[in-house]
Amino acid sequence: MNVPTADPALEADAAVERKKKSKKPKYSRFTQQELPACKPLLTPTIVISTFALIGILFIPIGLASLSASENVVEIVYRYDTECIPQQSQDDKVAFIQSSATDKTCRTTLTVPKNMKAPVHIYYELYNFYQNHRRYVKNRNDKQLRSKEYELETTNCAPEATTVDGSPIVPCGLIAWSLFNDTYSFAIQNKAIEVNKKNIAWQSDKDEKFGSDVYPKNFQQGGLIGGAKLNESIPLSEQEDLIVWMRTAALPQFRKLYGRIETDLVANEQISVTIQNNYNTYSFEGEKKLVLSTTSWIGGKNDFLGVAYLTVGSLCLFLALAFIVLYLLKPRTLGDPSYLSWNRNPDRH
Amino acid sequence: MDGKGWERVRMARLGGSSASRGREAAQLRQVSSQTVRLGRVQPQAPSHRTIYCNDREANLLARFKVCGHIIYGVSIPRICWHLSYFFCKILIYLVALLLFQVNSVSTTKYNILTFLPKGLFEQFRRVANLYFLMISILSTTPISPVSPVTNVVPLSLVLLVSLIKEAFEDWKRFQNDIAINSTPVDVLQGENWETVSWRKLQVGDIIRTANLDGETNLKIRKALERTWDYVFPEKASEFKGEIQCEQPNNSLYTFTGNLIVENQTLPLSPNQILLRGCSLRNTVHIVGAVIFTGHETKVMMNSMSVPSKRSTLERKLDKLILTLFGGLFFMCLIGAIGSGVFINRKYYYLGLFEDVEQQFNPSNRFVVSILTMFTLITLYSTIIPISLYVSIEMIKFIQCAQFINKDLRMYHAETNTPALARTSNLNEELGQVEYIFSDKTGTLTRNLMEFFKCSIGGVSYGVGITEIERGQAQREGRALNEIQKSDTVVYEKGFNFDDDRIMRGAWRNERDPEIFKEFFRCLALCHTVLPEGDESPEKIVYQAASPDEAALVTAAKHFGFFFYRRTPTTVQLRESHVEKMGNIQDVSYEILNVLEFNSTRKRQSVVCRYPNGRLVLYCKGADNVIYERLAGTNQDIKRLTREHLEQFGSSGLRTLCLAYRDLTIDTYENWNEKFVQAKSSLRDREKKLDEVAEMIEKDLILIGSTAIEDKLQEGVPDCIDTLSRAGIKIWVLTGDKMETAINIAYACNLINNDMKQLIITSETDAIREAEEKGDPVEISRVIRDSVSHDLKRCLEEAQQDLHIFGQKLALVIDGKCLMYALDPSFRVDLLKLSLNCSSVVCCRVSPLQKAQVTSLVKKGARRITLSIGDGANDVSMIQAAHVGVGISGLEGMQAVMASDFAIAQFRFLKDLLLVHGRWSYIRLCKVITYFFYKNLTFTLTQFWFTFHTGFSGQRFYDDWFQSLYNVIFTALPVIILGLFDKDVSASLAKKYPQLYKEGIRNTYFKWAVVGVWAFFAFYQSLIFYYFTTTASENGHNSSGKIFGLWDVSTMAFTCVVITVNLRLLMACNSITRWHHLSISGSILAWFVFIFIYSGVMTPNDRQENVYFTIYVLMSTFYFYLTLLLVPIVALFGDFLYLGLQRWFFPYNYQIVQEIHRDEVDSISRTEFLEIGNHLTPDEARSYAIAQLPREKSKHTGFAFDSPGYESFFASQAGVYVPQKAWDVARRASVRSSKRTSQR
Repeated sequence: MNVPTADPALEADAAVERKKKSKKPKYSRFTQQELPACKPLLTPTIVISTFALIGILFIPIGLASLSASENVVEIVYRYDTECIPQQSQDDKVAFIQSSATDKTCRTTLTVPKNMKAPVHIYYELYNFYQNHRRYVKNRNDKQLRSKEYELETTNCAPEATTVDGSPIVPCGLIAWSLFNDTYSFAIQNKAIEVNKKNIAWQSDKDEKFGSDVYPKNFQQGGLIGGAKLNESIPLSEQEDLIVWMRTAALPQFRKLYGRIETDLVANEQISVTIQNNYNTYSFEGEKKLVLSTTSWIGGKNDFLGVAYLTVGSLCLFLALAFIVLYLLKPRTLGDPSYLSWNRNPDRH
Repeated sequence: MDGKGWERVRMARLGGSSASRGREAAQLRQVSSQTVRLGRVQPQAPSHRTIYCNDREANLLARFKVCGHIIYGVSIPRICWHLSYFFCKILIYLVALLLFQVNSVSTTKYNILTFLPKGLFEQFRRVANLYFLMISILSTTPISPVSPVTNVVPLSLVLLVSLIKEAFEDWKRFQNDIAINSTPVDVLQGENWETVSWRKLQVGDIIRTANLDGETNLKIRKALERTWDYVFPEKASEFKGEIQCEQPNNSLYTFTGNLIVENQTLPLSPNQILLRGCSLRNTVHIVGAVIFTGHETKVMMNSMSVPSKRSTLERKLDKLILTLFGGLFFMCLIGAIGSGVFINRKYYYLGLFEDVEQQFNPSNRFVVSILTMFTLITLYSTIIPISLYVSIEMIKFIQCAQFINKDLRMYHAETNTPALARTSNLNEELGQVEYIFSDKTGTLTRNLMEFFKCSIGGVSYGVGITEIERGQAQREGRALNEIQKSDTVVYEKGFNFDDDRIMRGAWRNERDPEIFKEFFRCLALCHTVLPEGDESPEKIVYQAASPDEAALVTAAKHFGFFFYRRTPTTVQLRESHVEKMGNIQDVSYEILNVLEFNSTRKRQSVVCRYPNGRLVLYCKGADNVIYERLAGTNQDIKRLTREHLEQFGSSGLRTLCLAYRDLTIDTYENWNEKFVQAKSSLRDREKKLDEVAEMIEKDLILIGSTAIEDKLQEGVPDCIDTLSRAGIKIWVLTGDKMETAINIAYACNLINNDMKQLIITSETDAIREAEEKGDPVEISRVIRDSVSHDLKRCLEEAQQDLHIFGQKLALVIDGKCLMYALDPSFRVDLLKLSLNCSSVVCCRVSPLQKAQVTSLVKKGARRITLSIGDGANDVSMIQAAHVGVGISGLEGMQAVMASDFAIAQFRFLKDLLLVHGRWSYIRLCKVITYFFYKNLTFTLTQFWFTFHTGFSGQRFYDDWFQSLYNVIFTALPVIILGLFDKDVSASLAKKYPQLYKEGIRNTYFKWAVVGVWAFFAFYQSLIFYYFTTTASENGHNSSGKIFGLWDVSTMAFTCVVITVNLRLLMACNSITRWHHLSISGSILAWFVFIFIYSGVMTPNDRQENVYFTIYVLMSTFYFYLTLLLVPIVALFGDFLYLGLQRWFFPYNYQIVQEIHRDEVDSISRTEFLEIGNHLTPDEARSYAIAQLPREKSKHTGFAFDSPGYESFFASQAGVYVPQKAWDVARRASVRSSKRTSQR
């Protein structure tokens, strides 16, 4: 019978076809993984020079920061205990909560060094959790920003509305617990003016607190949390509130109270009158009054300077140590005897 | 004959004691259910189906009938499938088909409608995604400290990317389906062939098909004789018939059915079936009826059960994630307890009145704790790296699609085959392989036997030099005087020989021309080869059971003894130069007896009568067998030939000895009587035949020997050597006989003379004796005892030799023994023994045993295994191993279909493992540990903050910071790292294969490594948190204004982003511009983001917002000082650690980096790669040489290997012999044979 055999012409065609459809991948540096690259090696030289470099860079920065910080003159005065009269020491909370007691408290501070104006007045609180989750969100930014959103009191419970349902402006626990101690200063009975302007960040004043928003129903409830607000001043002008509401990161924080625009001379006696209104006694908090000048680095804070100095000198030390080590026990780069299979050839 | 041993084993098993039978059955069951999925036949529907051939209407009718049955719910409807019918010419083509379906095949996972729901469902099956879904839901409740944005945004982005990837992959599958479904095929319509697309094919259609893509092994398929005439459309259209066949199933090697034509029932066997995916070899087209289509075809039914594999690294990653969950729980627990303790009405400013919500109600601290627990889980959810999985997927996907698939070093030009990664799950697994299980034929060797050398009358001929010789010479530093082959050299498949002394009739001038005649005639007469095609030297094709035989006959042809015709009694040769130079004459030799080859005899003889009446016995066989039977004369030739045999053996050649014996008529007649008797005896025929053969195969005269090169694939010895220096142990699992297997093992450097061979074989006298008695129980017992004894002995020796003398060991075990050794009671011993051996050769193993051995190591030793093979018999092994590699580009597709990676050549394993695998592993390890680090660092800063917020769960970072941290600010660089990081270049990775050991030992993803990262994450988070907060307490510029929470957290976050990105840079070994771009891009992205985010005020602004924080910060020196200080201090520890580590405890790769620090990366030149096949640089070779055997091999091998012999010839003769596993495994040697023996 007729047995068909393969047609050679057909096969040849197929071969050509196959040739044409080469599946050979195209060359590219990417697919062949041959992209040009630099290959840094962490050689002893590099380690040593990096440490040396960091040391050389950090020590001057550290010294500069430290000296800047050292130039800052700071007076810190803790007054929460001292401003409670002797007879009320056993029950400080009752004292502070009573509306009948006189909470005025006087003291004298000595200026240790000359303090150039402006001298910043801070209050410092301790054990006050402005960063507690319930506290941080207990505000309504919309309401603060614009009059239209006056009714917006989401998140403000329990200080959202008054008993009859009208909104509290500004609502929420943060505003409600506004710090209300006040300080006044005098030198030789001559009062020093405290400038309370421009203590908040400009962006807060301009954008976050509306100039058409006026306090309303504030601190009208049964419990008074803190300071009251002048209902005729818009929130954007209430800088104490604005400062307070930029909640602190840690439970120990300072907030700017105001500035003294006159220079203070060393050894001058400043008499301070404190209205000790704010209740930190319930939660064993502390209150401090701080007078401080600033330098380019800000207030007195040795931390950065010390950190820079420590790290810098540690690096220098390591650089030196490694140099010694390198001299004593040099490590040849690329010594094949380090290869594990050359070190113990039996074990593989 | 080959299958006989197995037959016996099977008998033994069947008749064995019930206990052993039960155990074996259990073992088989266990194996089949666990490891070998492919071979398992799916349960079949109870009924068969009937197809009416060539009758679309009838088939259609049946279809409705079936529908009816199903709709009306008749209990187990006797489904009447229709059958169509069948048709054939030379081959019958049969594709399985379901009635309801046309032939279109869909491999896509989704369609447009199901994509979203199904795709999302798939995504949420991942624990990490589900976890984040739950966290997202949780974050919509008031319990959450963060807004839903924090978790929803990253989750959606991750899902989006995953879905896009899924869609892309599905789209590619869809395109592929379209291409397949629209392949044209001729269908009989009326009396004409009409071309329709593949997809429209229906059951019962009669089709003509020329080429079906894909392919398996060469198998013989033959139509039933009854249908032979229906070749032309006119005739075919007349054909009416019915096929009854089994239900579709996935068993590739079985088929039962009947063709009913004109009341005649003809049985159909697998011999009449063509499976989908086959291609025709020696016929242009065939005509057949379609039986199964679409998803019911056997190929499709098989392809669905391919198990998906997960890499070991990923499984370890799961453990890490679990640990992170543990850490998360621990952190939350601390926080929760803290919150219960902290909460107190004394903090009046928190407004904790009687009606406060449960979470802050001091009256019930327990509830507070529980709820805070949930709060903290949401808050710390970032500890679980959400984008990790999707990043890893992307990295692996690109690694596969761009790097592995497109690697020019793994492109094989001859077959036009690039490497193919079929799964992207296992890239890094390639970097940790410790055991390679390799098939032999087609994987290590090309299955191409070439006549290479010979020794005639004590003189060695042949100028070729084998790879192994070349290597030896180079190692010894002597130059090989390679003789240029003469221009007239003939090259043909199977013949790679040249020597001017004997070619083209020159042998006449040699010392003793007579012995040459004997030699050539022995080659030309003593064989079982069938010639085919035109009787001209150029066109003839030899059909041989083994390629060795074909090579020998081809050699005879080139020596001028052209075997061109075989009749039942004669062999006809066309002899040149015999009488005088240039003289050609046809001579017919009468073949009186053929004493066939078998594995016990190891030789083959023919008795033939010359036209002049001379009676000669020609014999060829293994050297030891022949030498035993030589006459006592001519010691010189014996000695010289022995030397040559050793030489050939050590060159890796397969040797055979040739001998003859002149017979007198009397001797012959006497013997022939006995032979005829034996041949007709009914009992123990084979044994008697062997005995009779013994009587005449003696007093032989040695002529010489042949040496055949079982051509190894290019670069195999070098590759094996490199891999073994890389700490990879290579096992050869082959169906070949022990001698062949050992021979190959020598040739490719697996075994050398330095090694001690431990052999466990069933070819012992005791076993043979037992087998001769034929009692299956007894046989089983004897083998069992012998195996048990051998194992114990070998184990003792191994321990002694290995530990006391430090000698390397090689284990050789055959399949029969393996069957017993794999028994649970011996398994441990076997494992222990084989783990002590540098190389293991398992011969005579079945596909199932290959899988069993693989899983023995995989499960028993818990090492990472890789199987490589090319044939259907390797499928189970490929699937059983951690990584399956298929050899592509040749005939077989089945192995490739089951594999995870497909490469064209064995030597590409070197690139696949040492380069791609190693890099993938290192990259993945870095990616994972880095992810772990960056999320831990980030979360820990958050954790430290918790302590200062009264454990309230207040978030430190803004919602958007947190949500974009993983997906924008730190996402890209780590992917770049995962793609481009390169510790040493590809050529160095191959030059120092030992570097690979770090992967095997899992050096880069140990708990210690994770611990170091965790430690530095801990350290850094402390730095971030305490440095930024401590430094923030006072005023920070001369205005004395104070920062709030969000200023500090923005500062901290800036530091985190910068540090974490820089830390990545420190982890890089090579830094490309992509690194620069992505790292600076990420940092820049953060600044751009924060400038916009904090600079713009919208009416619906976020609560407690970060408005203007960055500008406020940037107006202070604090910002710049901190920005310089914190990242440097944070990285200080890492830097110191890395410096010290490299200084004092350098990794190997670091030393290699240093050795080659001044070298520029060799860029592969395109033109160099153009050649494609000769990539092995000289350098690599010289390394390989150093490892070559130290002394001349004492090993000689011989070369008959024809497991498929029996059924091959049976089918040639038109007899159906049940196929054995071997046959399927075996690719028939001849690719270009143009016809089967139809005449």
